[in-house]
Amino acid sequence: MGMINQLPKVLDPIPGGKMVVNAVDYLVNWARSNSLWPLVYGTSCCAIEMMATGAAKHDIARFGAEVFRASPRQADVIILAGTLTEKMSKHLEVLYDQMPEPKYVVAMGACTISGGPFYYDNYSVIKGADRIIPVDVFIPGCPPRPEALLYGIMELQKLIRGESIRNPRKPGEVESEPWVNRHQEAVAEWEKEQEAVEEEIAPQRAQWKEDNPDFKAFKHPKKPVEDLEKMEYVPREKRVGAEPFALWNIVHEKFPEVTLHGIEEVTEEALAEKGAEYIPDFVVGTEQYSAFVRFLREHADTDCDYIIQVTAVDFVDRYDVCVHLMSTTKKHKIFVRCSIDHDDPKIDTISHIYLGANWHEREVYDFFGITFNNHPDMRRIFLFDEFDAHPLRKDFDDPSRLTKRPY
Amino acid sequence: MDLVSAQVPAGFPETHPNELTEEFYLNMGPQHPATHGVLRLVVKLDGETVKGVVPHLGYIHRSIEKMAESETYVQNIHLTDRLDYLSCHMNNLCLCMAVEKGANIGVPERGEYIRIMICELQRLQSHLLWWATFGMDLGALTAFLYGFDQREQITDIFEDVCGARLTMNYFRPGGSYCDVPDTFIPRVKAVLEGMEKSLDEYADLVGGNMIIQERCQGIGVLTKEKAISYGCSGPVARAAGVDYDVRRDDPYGIYDRFDFDVPLGKNGDCYDRYTVRIEEMRQSMRILEQCIKEMPSEGPYRSKIKTVIKIPEGHSYANVETARGLFGTYIVSDNKPKPYRLKYRSPNFSNVNIIDEVAKGFKVADLVTVLATLDPVIPDIDR
Ligand code: SF4
Repeated sequence: MGMINQLPKVLDPIPGGKMVVNAVDYLVNWARSNSLWPLVYGTSCCAIEMMATGAAKHDIARFGAEVFRASPRQADVIILAGTLTEKMSKHLEVLYDQMPEPKYVVAMGACTISGGPFYYDNYSVIKGADRIIPVDVFIPGCPPRPEALLYGIMELQKLIRGESIRNPRKPGEVESEPWVNRHQEAVAEWEKEQEAVEEEIAPQRAQWKEDNPDFKAFKHPKKPVEDLEKMEYVPREKRVGAEPFALWNIVHEKFPEVTLHGIEEVTEEALAEKGAEYIPDFVVGTEQYSAFVRFLREHADTDCDYIIQVTAVDFVDRYDVCVHLMSTTKKHKIFVRCSIDHDDPKIDTISHIYLGANWHEREVYDFFGITFNNHPDMRRIFLFDEFDAHPLRKDFDDPSRLTKRPY
Repeated sequence: MDLVSAQVPAGFPETHPNELTEEFYLNMGPQHPATHGVLRLVVKLDGETVKGVVPHLGYIHRSIEKMAESETYVQNIHLTDRLDYLSCHMNNLCLCMAVEKGANIGVPERGEYIRIMICELQRLQSHLLWWATFGMDLGALTAFLYGFDQREQITDIFEDVCGARLTMNYFRPGGSYCDVPDTFIPRVKAVLEGMEKSLDEYADLVGGNMIIQERCQGIGVLTKEKAISYGCSGPVARAAGVDYDVRRDDPYGIYDRFDFDVPLGKNGDCYDRYTVRIEEMRQSMRILEQCIKEMPSEGPYRSKIKTVIKIPEGHSYANVETARGLFGTYIVSDNKPKPYRLKYRSPNFSNVNIIDEVAKGFKVADLVTVLATLDPVIPDIDR
């Protein structure tokens, strides 16, 4: 475009030259706005709506934007479809820098506007994509409907048609102020406005009350609920697999120290009282933990070959590591829990017994800082290495990351 | 990170240089069209042969479990939509079921039928989307257009029922937040009719294609033992021969009233995963047909619950079968309106764990096929 950029300088002084420049402007903008090639960029839910917009019913091709490119070097517009997290933001910057000028950014969805549903109590989501790269068009919605995305693209086209060679477009600013609580600001502003309105209408209101002395405030009619209370429920009593008491007997024989969580004296009646949905929850000491899990896996009657999950709970004075196991042959489930010290959280790994436990344990390490002895690959799994805390601990309270919910 | 680097990246075992070959590491993602979002794979290659894959997660980690601790149970439902947004009704259902178990809430008959029908419709919808993108990943764009066209009809039903196209937020503890409209059953019938006609054609369009068969058969083989040990579930595990379906083996709701088969694969390769999913669509349609016949046309759709739901101290666990496998919700409560800890067990987390085992020894192009048949939804992995 180098030569075209020189046009106004050469042509504007000549009589009639301005019109030529305008004509060239029109032509260039027409071409640009009708062949917007978007980059394939979708991080989460909004990407599905973006795909739906590209498909047969909504057909983004009507606006010349159907050529989704996989390389940023061939793209004109990046549709930010989905939440933007801190870990992803560096990559987004690189993508943006790789796009050739002129480049446009369409922010799709509430997440890219302000963090959307992930605004409060969240330590990883960027609260607005405009903090990372300049954005041209914001499309509200969670997710925006395909029609809204099309409207956003039309708005972008309008923006492009307003450009001129005389005054080349510059990308907007990146929002640089620190994270602010926009919700509370908006609420305060609204309250102030409302106060002014109240003051203004106070005399009329008083007058109206005088004129209508027997007025009563409107009440919502109550819906009849009697038949709802009397109604019948679908029974939920199905037990699959072995009886908890039978499992307890097997375990108790080999590991006499093991207890059941929340039950002081284990009898058949006590377990039957818990109902058909009860899943036995064994409490085991740290020394026996790994041997116990191995026993559950290898014993022919428990036969827990499948690992549902490994997780932990922070009880402030201790951590409980919870292992949820299942048997794909016998269909029952068994929970195992092991309390460990809060100050020096360490426990044996079970990733040699269940291969799938490897990632679950890394997740627990990432969120709670619990180290698993002899784990083959003890790294953070979700957060980046510079993140210097374990966020699911109850004492995690980093004001630079978390915005507390005001209600 | 550089695109191609010579050092050993994190997660790979230290290797000793081999004089005969030259191994190198290639970075794929997080921004890559074949990774279905923002999964990042670091692949160790020898020429074009994959020697190892290390997935890096967390590019869309949205701290949903932390947020859950400061929202009430009902407020939490909308967050489950955003985990696996292609099975969001099932995710909603799982949280609601865990709350129902903890707080002892019952569901009326019609409410259960509504739940099952909506869930099965969603399974159809999700598998259709998978089918569409599977074709696209392998270079067949036609499937994308057909799949989305069909999917759009089901989306319209959901829009009719709950007002949303993608993030539904429809179920509540004790039922659903509103009744289905009168048009619901006729529309489901129409969709089933259309699907019955076209499903065989669809299955043939992609699965009957020579090129796709060559690219799928014998590729990405997963053994039954590995599938169980890694905790795989859903169509991925069933294609490997793991005979487990939560709907049949741990029936929730009223799934035990219906007659349906659980399709199993023989070889555990990509083609089996394809056929298992197609067969699952047929079974979902079977369940839907039975539902239409048996569903009571009158009656309450939800039970009356307190405005503030509290779960007594303790824990409760529920699991459902989403379109991708076993989804679980584990609530630890302390008798407050908000959960003390809420843990989601996501099926994709375990399903993607196997990618190293499955893709090893095949070519880079096969890695894309394997990923497409694992059908991961990345926000569900990262949570
Ligand atoms: S705006 Fe809503 S639908 Fe879009 S990515 Fe964010 S949470 Fe998902």
